[in-house]
Amino acid sequence: MKKSKLLIFITIVMFVFLLGPFLVIIISSFSNNAVMRFPPEGFSLQWYNKVLNIEMFRTTFWMSLKTGLAATLTALILGVPVAYTNVRYRYPGKSALEIFFSSPAIVPGLVIGFSLLRFFIYVTKIPVLTGLYLGHTAILFPYTVRVVSASLRNFDRGIEEAAVSLGSSPVHAFFAVVLPNIQSGLIAAFILAFITSFNNVPVSLFLTGPGVATLPIQMLVYMEYYFDPTISALSSILIVLTIIIIQSAEKLLGISKYM
Amino acid sequence: MNRLHLKKTFVLLLLPGLIFLLFFFLTPLLFVLVESFKGPDGGITLIRYREVLTDAQFRLVFARTLKMALIVTPIAVLVGYPSAYLMTKLPAAKKSILMSLVILPLMTSPVARTYAWIVILGKYGIVNQTLTSIGILKEPVRLMYTEGAIIVGLLQLFLPIMILTLVSAMENVQDEVEEAALSLGSGKAGCFFRVIVPLSFDGLIMGVTLVFTGSITAYVTPAILGGAKVLTLSTLMRQEALVLMNWEAATVIAVIMILTTLILYNGLRLFKPRTLV
Repeated sequence: MKKSKLLIFITIVMFVFLLGPFLVIIISSFSNNAVMRFPPEGFSLQWYNKVLNIEMFRTTFWMSLKTGLAATLTALILGVPVAYTNVRYRYPGKSALEIFFSSPAIVPGLVIGFSLLRFFIYVTKIPVLTGLYLGHTAILFPYTVRVVSASLRNFDRGIEEAAVSLGSSPVHAFFAVVLPNIQSGLIAAFILAFITSFNNVPVSLFLTGPGVATLPIQMLVYMEYYFDPTISALSSILIVLTIIIIQSAEKLLGISKYM
Repeated sequence: MNRLHLKKTFVLLLLPGLIFLLFFFLTPLLFVLVESFKGPDGGITLIRYREVLTDAQFRLVFARTLKMALIVTPIAVLVGYPSAYLMTKLPAAKKSILMSLVILPLMTSPVARTYAWIVILGKYGIVNQTLTSIGILKEPVRLMYTEGAIIVGLLQLFLPIMILTLVSAMENVQDEVEEAALSLGSGKAGCFFRVIVPLSFDGLIMGVTLVFTGSITAYVTPAILGGAKVLTLSTLMRQEALVLMNWEAATVIAVIMILTTLILYNGLRLFKPRTLV
């Protein structure tokens, strides 16, 4: 009994430590002080107003959104077939290939972004935005493979074989039978990959240039020059959006089992 | 389907992903690796490595980065294990709520999450305001831009990963095993250390690997909480490249970061076979 009280105590402290900062940031975003001060001396919505009026935040938000969507879709298109071979086929060298496919998740993001900058942008002169899209696709790829593989493993292979033996071509069976059955895995992969891209800093850090920056990078730049609660307001907006997405994804798909 | 057909299909399925990674992931990395050995005259040289490895600032930063990872990882284990254990024992509905609370920080913008610590640790932040108002401190002390601030930020960043890994490892430990240990006279603590921990050891190694390598390569946390005052490997690399325009040094640091990660990643995996065979 005593032991489990200790367990509960540690767990509560852990959650306060994990989630307390979120509460702090939301409270501070309603401050009326021009300098970060806690607790705030009064209430105001001016920082929310300011966030919406800073053009750089608006343009980088759209750039993050577009990059995230494009990279997520590409990573899914590349990842779904690989996940399928992971689950369905056995071949020599499979485990080595699996390690290679997961390596973008192991190599530090900072180094991935740096090497793309050094190689593609300096040597082959591709535009920075393309480099950003490629770097994001590379780091999302292992996520999509992992999540889609997990969902394929739960899918009864017999249903697919039945479709094929009843005269459906393997390709048709894949699109008509397999894909609809792993729908929730696909959506979970999409959400997880998109959020990963949207929040990413290390890969994007080196892949910025004139007119090209993502929202998190812009936030870091802003923080270097200003100490007002604008970032609190923007962070609060992002936190609330994340809560809404994660809670609905958990309710609808049970997203935590894919993590 | 005959064998040949099967072979063709799976090559076709693997090819797009493989080509993408070869071109846009492996080639740039190899390019950077080769560049790090290129001398000013185009020949092969180790001079860049010598320059970086003998640099006092680099040594300091490298040692500091390792030290912080060595502090963060055991704390994450000590806090993560009991919390994860408790969560696996909860009824499904409660567990699901707690799990989504653990996932929330993982999915939140790291900039937003780390910014909270400025509000807490800043000059007029919660800690300083509280300590000065109750008279423990006469004036605010500097808590930001210290190693301690980075360690706190890293802990918040990596605790969820440790907990998720441990929860999924401990889910595989059947209640019956635990009950058997208890009924055979093992105490609760004994049961935890001699049954639960060994049976979830793979998860522990995985968690330690992720947290340790993650702490070494993290960027946002040291960038915001350490700034230019307390550099780590990743913030030093950024400074060399984007502030000092010393691309050669940044390239060498990039290679050192990959090597450190790979050595740790594979080194820690060596512990795996010792568990259950």
